[in-house]
Amino acid sequence: MIFSSTLIENCVNEFSKLPGIGKKSALRLVLHLLKQDKNSIDQFANAMTNMRNQIQFCRQCHNVSDHEICKICTDFSRKKKQICVVESIRDVMAIEATQQYNGLYHVLGGIISPLDGIGPEQLKITSLIERITQEEIEEMIMALSPTLEGDTTTYYITKKAQHLNVKITTISKGVAFGGELEYADELTLARSILNRLPIVDIISN
Amino acid sequence: MLRIEKISLYHFRNYTNQEFSFDKQIISITGKNGSGKTSILDAIHFLCFTKSYFLHIDSLVITNGLQGMRINGEFRTDKLDTLTCIIRDNGKKEFLKNSVAYTQFSRHIGQFPCVFIAPDDTELITGSSEGRRKFMDTIISQLSVDYLDQIILYAKILQQRNALLKQWHLQSAQDYPLLQIYTKQLQTIGHIIHQYRIDFCKQLATKTNEFYTYLSEEKEQVIIQYQSQLESASLEDLLTQNIEKDIRTQRTNYGIHKDDLDFELNGMPFKQAASQGQRKSFLFGLKLAQFFIIQAQKNKSPILLLDDIFEKLDESRSHKLIDFLVKQNAQIFITHTHIEQVKKTFKEYQDQVQFIEL
Ligand SMILES: Nc1ncnc2c1ncn2[C@@H]1O[C@H](COP(=O)(O)OP(=O)(O)OP(=O)(O)O)[C@@H](O)[C@H]1O
Ligand SMILES: [Mg+2]
Ligand SMILES: [Zn+2]
Repeated sequence: MIFSSTLIENCVNEFSKLPGIGKKSALRLVLHLLKQDKNSIDQFANAMTNMRNQIQFCRQCHNVSDHEICKICTDFSRKKKQICVVESIRDVMAIEATQQYNGLYHVLGGIISPLDGIGPEQLKITSLIERITQEEIEEMIMALSPTLEGDTTTYYITKKAQHLNVKITTISKGVAFGGELEYADELTLARSILNRLPIVDIISN
Repeated sequence: MLRIEKISLYHFRNYTNQEFSFDKQIISITGKNGSGKTSILDAIHFLCFTKSYFLHIDSLVITNGLQGMRINGEFRTDKLDTLTCIIRDNGKKEFLKNSVAYTQFSRHIGQFPCVFIAPDDTELITGSSEGRRKFMDTIISQLSVDYLDQIILYAKILQQRNALLKQWHLQSAQDYPLLQIYTKQLQTIGHIIHQYRIDFCKQLATKTNEFYTYLSEEKEQVIIQYQSQLESASLEDLLTQNIEKDIRTQRTNYGIHKDDLDFELNGMPFKQAASQGQRKSFLFGLKLAQFFIIQAQKNKSPILLLDDIFEKLDESRSHKLIDFLVKQNAQIFITHTHIEQVKKTFKEYQDQVQFIEL
């Protein structure tokens, strides 16, 4: 692509760094922005810088938040003794969208996969165990993906929490244990976020 | 009755754009060296297995210098199924049955069974254990989707465990509980696979012997022995007892990924004791056992892809082989450089043979 303006070129380059955006789409977006008035572009740019600069991660559950502690954690109407353990903030949003779950969350920030260089120490596992102990959590719901990595993480956390007085349940059926685990009877499977719907239902009862 | 009736090749090996129709039980493909005989058989294999028999990297089947490829085939059983494999310009591979794309390629395996007999197959006897495990896996996978799932899962767990062992020198990665989890997972899956292999090897040993004696008219027995570390102890025990070794060598030293098949003749390892002829008979014995086991379980005869087999078998043996296969109602593809030779071998089945000359 040949540009007559380095300003345009820079902008196209920035857009094409986004996932799923190639050079052509980037150019289309940039040309669209060029047609907007300057105020709306300021708004657009500010939204992005503010988002990145001011966003916080909840000190308690590691969800995204505008404050030190997030809206979910400070919501009085939610059950404080129930934690749903998820991989990422996307899962929080998906489960929230179901409106079927009324407890708290814990965002691990990934799942265990040495192959991808992700070990337990890179995830928010220690803080989870601390939380269970300090907050006297009664039930921990494991809502990780039904993959080998998700299973491994579920099993790992289960092991770490074994000695604590917490009931551990899961919404996904293990793939790598064949039904061998003791908690397997409590399993109800959610293969996708959509499938989680009725399961969260079951959990909230 | 399983038949392939048509195949079209686009950018596949030496074929930039070509179509072949098959309308007989036996299809003879003849042509000079390098004319594209093996390529046709490999394309059929590709549609049955979603991959090449020879090349492990998909992109290598694309005609040199061109981009993307497509194989399309029509298979007849009690109904007609169209299978399509596409590799896009960006390297993405798609596999479709009746225009519906598979989300998991493994779901396709076993539906359209075929058995390939190729010149390099003696590797099975003389080569490393990896080839023999692959031989077992290919067959059992066609018999059971569950087996294929377990094999894939086992490989994933093994990769993760090995990755953890490779990082073990870092203080932060020394996580024994995590290593134990992978050990437990390998134990569970490993023993399922082990049981499948025990059952399979029993059948394989019996059937191979039958065909070996049928083809060679030899009296001695060949012994096929399945070798596995899991015979003596549970995998969990083996791995737990040898954890230091795994850590030192940075990989998993015990498991079904170390399994092997032992072939013996008169109490000696087959690769030492056997003559060239015995070796060939044995190889065909193995392949026919494969054919037979799949046929028995699937209730249909796999398609046979016989690549240059006359170079390996004398006339009387070739005859017996053909006799057997024709009776089984299998569709047979056979390649050769000289059409006269094929005509001679198939004299008795003349009107059942289609000749394709490249
Ligand atoms: N990816 C590729 N691109 C282009 N040509 C290829 C590719 N792969 C293989 N070929 C060529 O295709 C030709 C046909 O190969 P094939 O193995 O089918 O021949 P053949 O008829 O079986 O020969 P032989 O009698 O020696 O076994 C060969 O010349 C080979 O080099
Ligand atoms: Mg060839
Ligand atoms: Zn929070």
